Amino acid sequence: MASHRNSDLNQDLDLPLHLQQARAQTRRQFLRRSQAGLGSISLAMLLDGDGRGRSGARGADPGAGPIRSADNPLTPRAPHFAPRAKRVIYLHMSGGPPQQELLDAKPALVKHHMQPCPDELLKGQKFAFIKGHPKLLGSPYKFERWGASGAELSELLPHLRGVADELAIVRSMWTDQFNHAPAELFLFTGSPRNGGAAMGSWITYGLGSENQNLPGFVVLISGGTDPTGGKALWSTGYLPSVYQGVQCRSVGDPVLYVGNPKGMDRTDRRRTLDALRRLNEIELSEFGDPETLTRISQYELAFRMQMAVPDVMDIRQEPAAIIDEYGATPGGSSFANNCLLARRLVERGVRYVQLFDWGWDCHGTGAGDDIVKHLPAKCREVDRPIAALVGDLKRRGMLDDTLVIWGGEFGRTSMNEARGGSRFLGRDHHPHCFSIWMAGGGIKPGITVGATDELGYHIVDNPISIHDLQATILHLLGLDAWKLTYPYQGLDQKLIGPEGAARIRKELLT
Amino acid sequence: MKPTTPHHRQDRPHPGPDPLTRRAATALTLAVLFAVTALVHAGEPKSRTDPDRSRAKRTVDFNRDVRPVLAKNCYACHGRDEARREKKLRLDVREAATRPLEDDNAAIVPGDPDSSELIERITTDDVSLRMPPRKTGHRLTPAEVHTPKTRIQQGARYAQHWALIPPAAGSLPAVRDGSWPRNGIDRWVLARLEDEGLPPSLEADRYTLLRRVSLDLRGLPPSPAEVDRFVKDTQPGAYERAVDQFLDDPAYGERWARMWLDLARYADSAGYGSDPLRPDIWPYRDWVIAAFNGNLPYDRFTLLQIAGDLTEHPTLDDRIATAFHRNTMTNTEGGTDDEEFRVAAIKDRVDTTMQVWMGLTAGCAKCHSHKFDPITQEEYYRLYAIFNQTADADRGDESPTVPFPLPAIAKKNREIDVKITALRSHLSKTTPAAEAAKIKAQVAGLEKSRPKPPNVPVMQELPPSGRRKTHLLRKGNFLDPGQTVEPGVPAALHPLPSDKAADRMALARWLVDPANPLTGRVAVNRYWAQLFGVGLVETEEDFGTQGEPPSHPELLDWLAVHYRESGWDTKALIRLIVTSATYRQSSRVRPELMQKDPRNRLLARAPRIRLEAEMVRDQALALSGLLSHKVGGPSVFPPQPDGLWQAAFNGQRTWSTSPGEDRYRRGLYVFWRRTVPYPSMAAFDAPSREICAIRRVRTNTPLQSFVTMNDPVYVEAAQALARRIVREGGADATARVRYALGLCQCRLPRPEQIKPLVALYSAELDRYRKDRAAAVALATEPIGPAPAGVDPAELAAWTAVANVLLNLDSVLSRG
Repeated sequence: MASHRNSDLNQDLDLPLHLQQARAQTRRQFLRRSQAGLGSISLAMLLDGDGRGRSGARGADPGAGPIRSADNPLTPRAPHFAPRAKRVIYLHMSGGPPQQELLDAKPALVKHHMQPCPDELLKGQKFAFIKGHPKLLGSPYKFERWGASGAELSELLPHLRGVADELAIVRSMWTDQFNHAPAELFLFTGSPRNGGAAMGSWITYGLGSENQNLPGFVVLISGGTDPTGGKALWSTGYLPSVYQGVQCRSVGDPVLYVGNPKGMDRTDRRRTLDALRRLNEIELSEFGDPETLTRISQYELAFRMQMAVPDVMDIRQEPAAIIDEYGATPGGSSFANNCLLARRLVERGVRYVQLFDWGWDCHGTGAGDDIVKHLPAKCREVDRPIAALVGDLKRRGMLDDTLVIWGGEFGRTSMNEARGGSRFLGRDHHPHCFSIWMAGGGIKPGITVGATDELGYHIVDNPISIHDLQATILHLLGLDAWKLTYPYQGLDQKLIGPEGAARIRKELLT
Repeated sequence: MKPTTPHHRQDRPHPGPDPLTRRAATALTLAVLFAVTALVHAGEPKSRTDPDRSRAKRTVDFNRDVRPVLAKNCYACHGRDEARREKKLRLDVREAATRPLEDDNAAIVPGDPDSSELIERITTDDVSLRMPPRKTGHRLTPAEVHTPKTRIQQGARYAQHWALIPPAAGSLPAVRDGSWPRNGIDRWVLARLEDEGLPPSLEADRYTLLRRVSLDLRGLPPSPAEVDRFVKDTQPGAYERAVDQFLDDPAYGERWARMWLDLARYADSAGYGSDPLRPDIWPYRDWVIAAFNGNLPYDRFTLLQIAGDLTEHPTLDDRIATAFHRNTMTNTEGGTDDEEFRVAAIKDRVDTTMQVWMGLTAGCAKCHSHKFDPITQEEYYRLYAIFNQTADADRGDESPTVPFPLPAIAKKNREIDVKITALRSHLSKTTPAAEAAKIKAQVAGLEKSRPKPPNVPVMQELPPSGRRKTHLLRKGNFLDPGQTVEPGVPAALHPLPSDKAADRMALARWLVDPANPLTGRVAVNRYWAQLFGVGLVETEEDFGTQGEPPSHPELLDWLAVHYRESGWDTKALIRLIVTSATYRQSSRVRPELMQKDPRNRLLARAPRIRLEAEMVRDQALALSGLLSHKVGGPSVFPPQPDGLWQAAFNGQRTWSTSPGEDRYRRGLYVFWRRTVPYPSMAAFDAPSREICAIRRVRTNTPLQSFVTMNDPVYVEAAQALARRIVREGGADATARVRYALGLCQCRLPRPEQIKPLVALYSAELDRYRKDRAAAVALATEPIGPAPAGVDPAELAAWTAVANVLLNLDSVLSRG
């Protein structure tokens, strides 16, 4: 894995000597200026936002610190305290997978299958689509206990059984949003409304990234459709745009515009960049604007990214056995490919990799979204690559400090939706409980946390909120969720929202 | 981060190696810095001619020194928000803070810091007693302790927050160098610089100045002819004439509309999940352009956008202006509650209005009373009540709307009318039934083919019978209404006009009322920020107690009063600023300035600013000669990569690239889909416009490099620029490079700039002569076949050079 110290050095060594000297001379000015930012965003200004300066964690003399250069806000920075995880892979099943079919076995629901839902459960409840008096829907799938931990998993997830002992299954997640877009925004930006900053942006803002030749926060999408919350889910919000999630694509340029124009090869690009650098150096010497120096280094970084991005995205480099283990298809575009890419990205030091997979909104309005035909097909798409990812990280010794999370934005009802009298089986949106699992990165393996009532309607043990989950993720990364702040609109903004009602869920931690 | 001003370092009370102390010193330095030019109010006048006043003994000023400390550290639990107040102690009001506590001394005992519980609590070593509590992570620095202590010693007087005191134009300060100032702005700036012992910079050279003011006023570089005319115009007033020419250019309205559209959160889509297109709202954008070009006074501009429909005889234009507040998002996701998102839109209107006009962050008060600024939760919902009476209700069809007649549509309809009349003339009693039926079918077909005008979403007041009752929403939750509230404004501010109903019209009048302490300041600060890269109040979005204090308070107030008294004449304000000596300075960063004022808050030079997203695009198109100058009309679809639009559910997925000149329109006409912003704009920090964006940050990233190097739009611009260089640049490579540099930088090239580009050209020419396929690709894709008789290798090599030119720091920045 790339060491940040090396990448810093490399950054300097890539520059010709006179520019290194210029850099050394101006570094002091740089950092001084960066406390200020000529209206531009610069590092120290950003640091000031996170409140760490106030507790004195930041170096006293801005000129004397390590090369945490002001021109690269993605340079790694120390967390607030010793971290358990250094990076995150978040596997989001967009639409809300039915917990009753996958992670939360409900024998009583099976017993009462197609009986009217008890009145007391419906009192005062609001549904997205269910009308009238719905019937209970027992899961058609069998659950069994697996591994030494006895994790209870559905037959729809046969490969996941193999890594059951690595998982911490949480059956008591809840949210207060029951439409997709607000629920996803809540989960990934801490607020159900647009405008907030994504968790991946917060984390790269807090920690920087270990590889300066790749974006620190990468987004990979499968299923042919963006998640309902759209690009706001990896938006930088009020944080500076360098922390924006960068979508890497399997089709076309892996990162927008990374490829040179047709007819221009890498040698041509180098020659144009040499000329550009020469002219920009003249500009720098004439006007003395540190921003010019930053621009020079950003073009050099772009040149390196032009190599690094296509390289990391090329899964053909993987051994056949690995490709097979994931079920990936080189040259194609799939969730399996994205799982393999996620491993390649974190292996190279990318801080936060976010996968979105479309197609989990199992309403049962037709064969395309029911739990009998569609859901097993979706599970076949994800089960094998997910298990391969966990196993692969484990074998490489990376699972210890890589946090993997799998889940949706909310749960699904215990009742059959039967929209418009549909004969297909499916479930409506349900915010009161849902299941996720987490693995690696300081998560206690082989546990199941929380419980729902026998019909799977309400949580009866250990409810865990969205903000709890977020605070816990930050905690594992060594970030204090209450100190990771950014001043905007007169407030110290936080991922976990203004009220600070979140708790770090220690029961999930090793 | 606060500015460090080494000039004042000797004033540090506790210089020391640890970061806490260092920060304390910085904080105090700041306090001293502002002490120098403290706003002349609250009975603390000071002589403007005292050369030594920067070292004069100072009293602690409540607004400047004390309130920020209390606000940051105390008000969250001991402020105006009753629900969150701890121990019933309130520190933001003097009467409450000096009242004796149950078992202790009063928090503040005027004149006696040692008996003041507040001082005891912030200084004690007992962690369990010390404030702020440990869990907040805050700890007062020695300077932060020192400030309230001194103030208490001096009598613990409170003062109103500076921004709530109406601005007054003080008389201009005396300056030593009377020859430098060109107008009042310069007197304030120079007086301050002389205090600091910093001379201003020389005036920028003419080339730089013209490019600067052209980009600033029109968002476009000057043409070579304009540059030529200006440098040759040696008559007095040449610069002012150029300024007037730019102010009269239709491009002026486009440039400033861009700024306003961020505030209006204008977009061509409705937002949320599938983010359906909203293709009919562009007439509002054109209204804004026309308003700027027509120099509509800011009070009228305000009134029409907030309440154009409530004017006595609203014209179509007046109603279209109200689309300002129909730029809120509409949620069409299946299963959503329309009322929930109607409520969200009303809240957005309150928040946006208060932010845009008054620089106040009202948003927090929707859930709880504002912890820092004078807006209680109830007062928030009083504002909400004003907006809560419009007919729109998060409907998929965006109703109510007004049809916007387009000349093209009117023409088409006239043609259809003519055809129908002609067909009908064939009809008579004797026409055979079969033929009559045929004619009738043709007429019906023509009727059906009538083009539909855009239906622009507008604000429309509910009829008196259908008015809504407004409730306070507990924690902002629309399902949890509390007490009913009547329309009104926060009590800490001037009252609504009393003679009229408390509706949107009253609110609009209230916003531009001379008694409004904020509207003028916020507006002039915004123009200042656009022209200097940063506002006099850096936090343009927050003039409240949590925002930054102004760097030049008297200048801010002088400008605010001047603007209002000019009849809110925006062009005159901009003209005043850009004709000042302050604006006309060189942007060269003198080493002493880097030392003494790295952030350029004192304005001893002009700023050097990276162009904003739209300008980066517009300039590339202008330099290459591709730019279309067509003003207004439906939004356009220049090339973007395939597969970006894959919104969920029934969202529109097809991006049909515009044909013809619409490919090359200015950035502000590019179709703006909130969830999928045009990628090159987003890379250069354009906001999503899901909500009002007061201030764009400026970043400097490699993803921007990718855009200007490789985005086919910029490749095409480089290809067109290459052709222009070959066409217009003279005979040999050196002449062409000289021409190209002059064109792109709008200044005479320096000799050492020529060689690297000529060398690049030669190397690339060699390479492309050996690889004709690559040459043809680089020279013609996507722009099209090379002109007859031009060697593709030569064009390709010039394209590589042009690609460099469009990426130059001197081109991407305005100096």
